[in-house]
Amino acid sequence: MLMISPRMASGMQEKQYTPSLLNFFVYNPTFGQKEGEEEKKILFYHPSDVEKNEKIRNVGLCEAIVQFTRTFCPTKPAKSLHTQKNRQFFFEPEDNFWIVMVVRNPMIEKPNKDGKPPTVEYQEEEIIDTVYGAVVKQCYSMYKLFNGTFGRQMEAGGVELLIQKLEKFFYRYLQTLHLQSCDLLDVFGGISFFPLDKMTYLKIQSFVNRVEESLSLIKYTAFLYNDQLIWSGLEQDDMRILYKYLTTSLFPRHSEPELAGRDSPLRPEVAGNLLHYGRFLTGPTNLKDPEAKFRFPKIFVSTEDGYEELHLIVYKAMSAAACFMISASVELTRDFCEQLDGLVGPQLTLLASDICEQFTVNRRISGPEKEPQFKFIYFNHMNLAEKSTIHMRKTASVCLTSVHPDLMKILGDINCDFARVDEDEEIIVKAMTDYWVVGKKSDQRELYVILNQKNANLIEVNEEVKRLCATQFNNIFFLD
Amino acid sequence: MERDMRGRGNPWTPSGLIGQFSLSNNVSSPTLDKETEDAATDNDRSDSGEFVVTMLAKAKLEEQGIGVKGRSSPLLEVGTQETPAFISHRDEDVTAESWRQHRKHVFVLSEAGKPIYSRYGSEEALSSTMGVMMALVSFVQSGDNIIRSEHIVVFLQKGPLVLVCVSSSRQTEQQLRGELLYVYYQIISMLTQASISRIFEHKKNYDLRRLLAGSEKILDGLLNLLDSDPSFLLAAVHCLPLACSLRDSLSQILQKAITPNLVFSILIARNQLLTIVQEKTVIEDARLEPADVHLLLNLIGASSAFQAGEIWTPICLPLFNPDCYFYAYISYLDPPECTVCLLLLSTDKEAFYAVAECKRKIEEAMMAQNSLSLIAKVQSYSVSQVGVSDLRHFMYKPFDVTGCFITYSKMEAPYSSEEEKMRLLDLYRYMHNRIHSTSRPLKLIYHVAERETLLAWVTSKFELYTCFSPLVTKACAITAITKLLRWIKKEEDRMNSLKLVLFPYLS
Repeated sequence: MLMISPRMASGMQEKQYTPSLLNFFVYNPTFGQKEGEEEKKILFYHPSDVEKNEKIRNVGLCEAIVQFTRTFCPTKPAKSLHTQKNRQFFFEPEDNFWIVMVVRNPMIEKPNKDGKPPTVEYQEEEIIDTVYGAVVKQCYSMYKLFNGTFGRQMEAGGVELLIQKLEKFFYRYLQTLHLQSCDLLDVFGGISFFPLDKMTYLKIQSFVNRVEESLSLIKYTAFLYNDQLIWSGLEQDDMRILYKYLTTSLFPRHSEPELAGRDSPLRPEVAGNLLHYGRFLTGPTNLKDPEAKFRFPKIFVSTEDGYEELHLIVYKAMSAAACFMISASVELTRDFCEQLDGLVGPQLTLLASDICEQFTVNRRISGPEKEPQFKFIYFNHMNLAEKSTIHMRKTASVCLTSVHPDLMKILGDINCDFARVDEDEEIIVKAMTDYWVVGKKSDQRELYVILNQKNANLIEVNEEVKRLCATQFNNIFFLD
Repeated sequence: MERDMRGRGNPWTPSGLIGQFSLSNNVSSPTLDKETEDAATDNDRSDSGEFVVTMLAKAKLEEQGIGVKGRSSPLLEVGTQETPAFISHRDEDVTAESWRQHRKHVFVLSEAGKPIYSRYGSEEALSSTMGVMMALVSFVQSGDNIIRSEHIVVFLQKGPLVLVCVSSSRQTEQQLRGELLYVYYQIISMLTQASISRIFEHKKNYDLRRLLAGSEKILDGLLNLLDSDPSFLLAAVHCLPLACSLRDSLSQILQKAITPNLVFSILIARNQLLTIVQEKTVIEDARLEPADVHLLLNLIGASSAFQAGEIWTPICLPLFNPDCYFYAYISYLDPPECTVCLLLLSTDKEAFYAVAECKRKIEEAMMAQNSLSLIAKVQSYSVSQVGVSDLRHFMYKPFDVTGCFITYSKMEAPYSSEEEKMRLLDLYRYMHNRIHSTSRPLKLIYHVAERETLLAWVTSKFELYTCFSPLVTKACAITAITKLLRWIKKEEDRMNSLKLVLFPYLS
């Protein structure tokens, strides 16, 4: 992506290039170990129009690097390769299967006078390894959610099936990667929870129980409101990737039509159901039409002894969304969908308006004091809860932050520093711009606060952060 | 007629400057008698590499010719004379787990993949690993590359040499690259950049170990210093805190003992700088960089053979001028303790006797002023002198126009073991890296950790690193820093009295 920043009055413009995806490939060095068969190692390669020999060479280089680092540490081989122009990330999700992502470093192109080619300055330090390393892991997790592990694919249909599935998935998924806006939140891969009072929470729980009892086919349920999670019956790791899919892919795709005007052609066919506002986001878009075919996406979640494949039913009423997961071995008929629609629709609609009411009431009570005046990011490793008052809008394509990207990178640095040890720590830094950044790590929780108080000293900054902790995190002990 | 390689103006007369090794065998030494000279020239071959060997071998012969009680050539150790405290890693088994677990490996090889040096293990055993390294370097091509895993692998190419570091020390690539650069410069200090370029131009797969035989100890010593000495991290020189009057008197003594072509006079005690006196015109052109001083200190410290008698040896100062040799007169003034060393650098290879005469003058003057016992009384700073209870250690570097000097306190309990010293230095290194980041530098870092609290602060005037007990409160830390800075100001003339002292140029 190219951003132009006019710098000088003379009209000479520096062009700032953000990091972008250069290559992405999946390989297994145990396939094609014989001379002349190297191509067999490559299971997926983007961009596909690269010459075959170059692909083999790049894969060979990765193999050599991994081998070389194994000389010094056999159990933990290479994670990344830094060169001036780009950065390569290596990830081995399953034995001998490697995923490699190559990112072009951000750079500044400075024009030269007299028709000379512009000088390019690469900004290596702008890319933080942990951030993009987490992005690669996320790519794998997302693939695994919809396709199961590589090993499973090999068992089901051999290398050919695996290659097919990789192509189908990554071709689309890579287009959704927005490397220029990756930051600390990608490292956390957390879930935003919706704050609820006990009564409403119990109402939702009993709703889930009722539905699961009436429709015994349902194995797991998850309940979300406004892109935030309230309840989930899934394992944490599965829920976090499902959450990412829902909030960055499924919901945005369907929210735009909802926001469209009444006469807009985008408006979904609600087909005159006046009893409730519920509809399927996955599966049948129009229950009234008997001819219309439908299918539910299949996902893979982990169980004690492996994986199980499930249909993913996502049903939405106003701002509330319920996900129902049913074993993929069952065939879901139109009848079943109608049954679900009839049962869930009205209840979910009621619940949604209940929650909305409660939420508005709560906000009126707490008033403006609870408005975020502090810019902070909070993450709890134990339940994956994340909260950020810095990120404003998060859609599939953009994630706006209200602070300078350099400050976000400083947060990334502090997070790296915390990761070096297990103990509780606190790091306070003053940036060149006189912003203060405070990082606290306590017992699996991390808190980062950005303060714009140029003339404050260390003690004043400390007091400010203590105030924040007292209001928002008063039951959590952070180091003083 | 040798060509001047300095390229920066030439205050010295051409005849005194060995700027470039020509392929001719026309090197004469002042003290060699005819017999040994003939024997030496017989060994000369047209290969310029061999020429350099002969030069250094001649130094050895010279020494014996003078009849001084030298044990062996200053830069070429025969190996049998190793001090018991030095552990050789040459014979380590490179397949063993213990080899893998070393904190930091350093390898030097030529562009053709020929091994030159390895910190742990012998180069032969590692030749295949080195081959892989070479393949990686050429494959990835442009610029300097690093591989990050549990270890960081940093590659650095300088001319025909490739240096590789594999480190689990959690230092950053910039810091490791800086350390590799030091290794490169130390090699240059023994051979000069011009010779190395020429050797490899002439013969791409030349085995440089032939010229560096015996000098592994020097590189080993440098790597140990890089690990354990904070002055490398802050790119500054550590001076012994002398009282102003003592330092001035020593500088004056050095200033008076001069001879033509003498460029630097340096006094060192306990591996710390006492004073440097430079020839006047040198200041206009360039100054002695801290890195050059570090390399000199290492060269002297790593080699116990300097401790007896007088040494006259070629030395290159890579940051000053990587292509030419100085001639160094090295002598300890207080045998057998050998803590105070005098180093006189001249551009005239024939000037041994004249320079030795300077040393005698200096020795006499110091004896008259009882300097040696005064120097022996000087102690490095201890935190207790500052009078702040929570403070455990500090490092302070003023941004001074006149030079780069740092002051630090001794590492005392709880940092008494080697491991703890290393750990504290690692913490300082990590803070240094964050504060001096090229893309997002910081002004201050306050880090509360389990075992200590650290504060690093950079202003336009100075750079300060401090270590407190972990329970210190922020208020206490701030008070402590204020007290420390006040104390430093008071001690400033001891610390910064190392002003540049010049002596007049004599033609």
